[in-house]
Amino acid sequence: MSSADITSDLPEGHAIPRQWIVTAGRIALAVALLAAWEWGARAFGPLFFAPPLATAQRIVEMAGNGKLLTDTIATLRVSALGFVIGCAAGVALPFLLRLSPRATAAIEPFILASMGIPKYALTPWLILWFGIGDAPKVVVVTLFVFYIVLITVFAGVRGVDQRLINMARIIGASERTIARKVIWISLLPFFFTGLKVALPRAVSAAIVGEFLVAVEGIGFSIERARQLSDTTGVFAGIVVAVTLVLIINAAVNALERHALRWRPTDRDMQL
Amino acid sequence: MTGTQMLQIKNLGKRFPARAGREPPPWIIQDMSFSVGAGELLTIVGPSGAGKSTLLNIIAQIDVASAGEIVFDGERIAGAEQKTLHPGLNRRIGYVTQDDNLLPWRTTIDNVLFPLEVQGALDDAGRTRAQELIGAVGLTGFERYYPHELSGGMRKRAALIRTLVYDPPMILMDEPFAAVDAQTRTQLQEDLLRLWSLKRKTIIFVTHDITEAIALGDRALVLTQRPAHIAAEHPIPIPRPRAVKDIFTMPGFTAIYEHIRADVQ
Repeated sequence: MSSADITSDLPEGHAIPRQWIVTAGRIALAVALLAAWEWGARAFGPLFFAPPLATAQRIVEMAGNGKLLTDTIATLRVSALGFVIGCAAGVALPFLLRLSPRATAAIEPFILASMGIPKYALTPWLILWFGIGDAPKVVVVTLFVFYIVLITVFAGVRGVDQRLINMARIIGASERTIARKVIWISLLPFFFTGLKVALPRAVSAAIVGEFLVAVEGIGFSIERARQLSDTTGVFAGIVVAVTLVLIINAAVNALERHALRWRPTDRDMQL
Repeated sequence: MTGTQMLQIKNLGKRFPARAGREPPPWIIQDMSFSVGAGELLTIVGPSGAGKSTLLNIIAQIDVASAGEIVFDGERIAGAEQKTLHPGLNRRIGYVTQDDNLLPWRTTIDNVLFPLEVQGALDDAGRTRAQELIGAVGLTGFERYYPHELSGGMRKRAALIRTLVYDPPMILMDEPFAAVDAQTRTQLQEDLLRLWSLKRKTIIFVTHDITEAIALGDRALVLTQRPAHIAAEHPIPIPRPRAVKDIFTMPGFTAIYEHIRADVQ
């Protein structure tokens, strides 16, 4: 992989152990975490700390009766929809604002002020407007994602090398082409940073939304388990949520590696 | 006479806009006039900070003039009253800048094809031309390399042929070979002269290197420090084709060199 360059200078046989060290480190950390978890369960009792094994059994059970799938789909539906809307708006607005520095200066304080609104606190009001379906949760997710993507993409648009834009203008590129083929690609590193922050937030926002209003979903299951003092159910829900975020993150990382494959590999960051 | 003039600069002046409550900023370029003939390779030599890049930016229309006017191919293209810019003058003026400004996410071939792509003119003929130009400057085999994988000289070549690929009649060059080592620079200069002899573009080549100005130019203008204006004009009667690496052995070289050096100071 990316370690090929630097390890090629080293004697044969060193390439594989470098990967192993990382993998071994990960396994060791996972074992340590599980041990701490198990210790917590023994020290404080299952009401305060559901044991790992019981949590795993609960997840298997949920998978067996179909609850795992319906919960995951419900949470994913809300977070994906909110994510797509928030992301599209967060990307589009900086490109629109670029067209008018004066409008940007005028709008900026309002955007900053609106960021201060506590989004979860909006939920009761959103239920008033949109009812108890997916809509109020989608709006909350959208708001979380929108601001994160907006700020990172905005920074990216401002950071584009003006010389590249001048070059593109001189060779006859239209402003639309420049936006698409110069500015957008230049800001991809910023965009992916925003995505990586926004995606877990989208899932947690959907889950918190489900605490307040839902008939299914990971958040709904966690909240119901909490009401029944079913700590194992709470832990199972958290593990499912974490797993979901990890899977999504892995997908984003793969997408990023593909989209930014042109970037020189940073030697200091190699394994 | 007018038929052979490609570009006329008339009493050009440039100063940056005044700020409220401050003294008006000094002129960077003042009362500058010169013209460039069709197919001529004009070199402009002057010290760093003399406003050479500003001059080219105004001609390329990524900056506005504050006084005077510019006539391109018989048509008045810029003047002090100008409100809107037409960068590159609808692809008739190419610009090779000091930085190569290659798009870092595009390979050599995709960078060279970029002008055709954005102009909607990417066809088989364009691809063939790009491939020929890549061959002409010795970049064959490096088509699929990203800019960060190329040497400084290779990036300069890629930037040069990216401008040649869409065939603008006039090309501005702003110290394009300043940042490479002496040996590579000589090679790049010879590449440029060879391509120029084939295509006969009108070129304005700006440099601070007197030897380069003599080796390349049909004529050299000497620019003085701020406000920049033309201090002297030297025809360079050294016959072509010229061997750049032996240029200082050519008869007349020393005399021209001494004259220009005296004018620069």
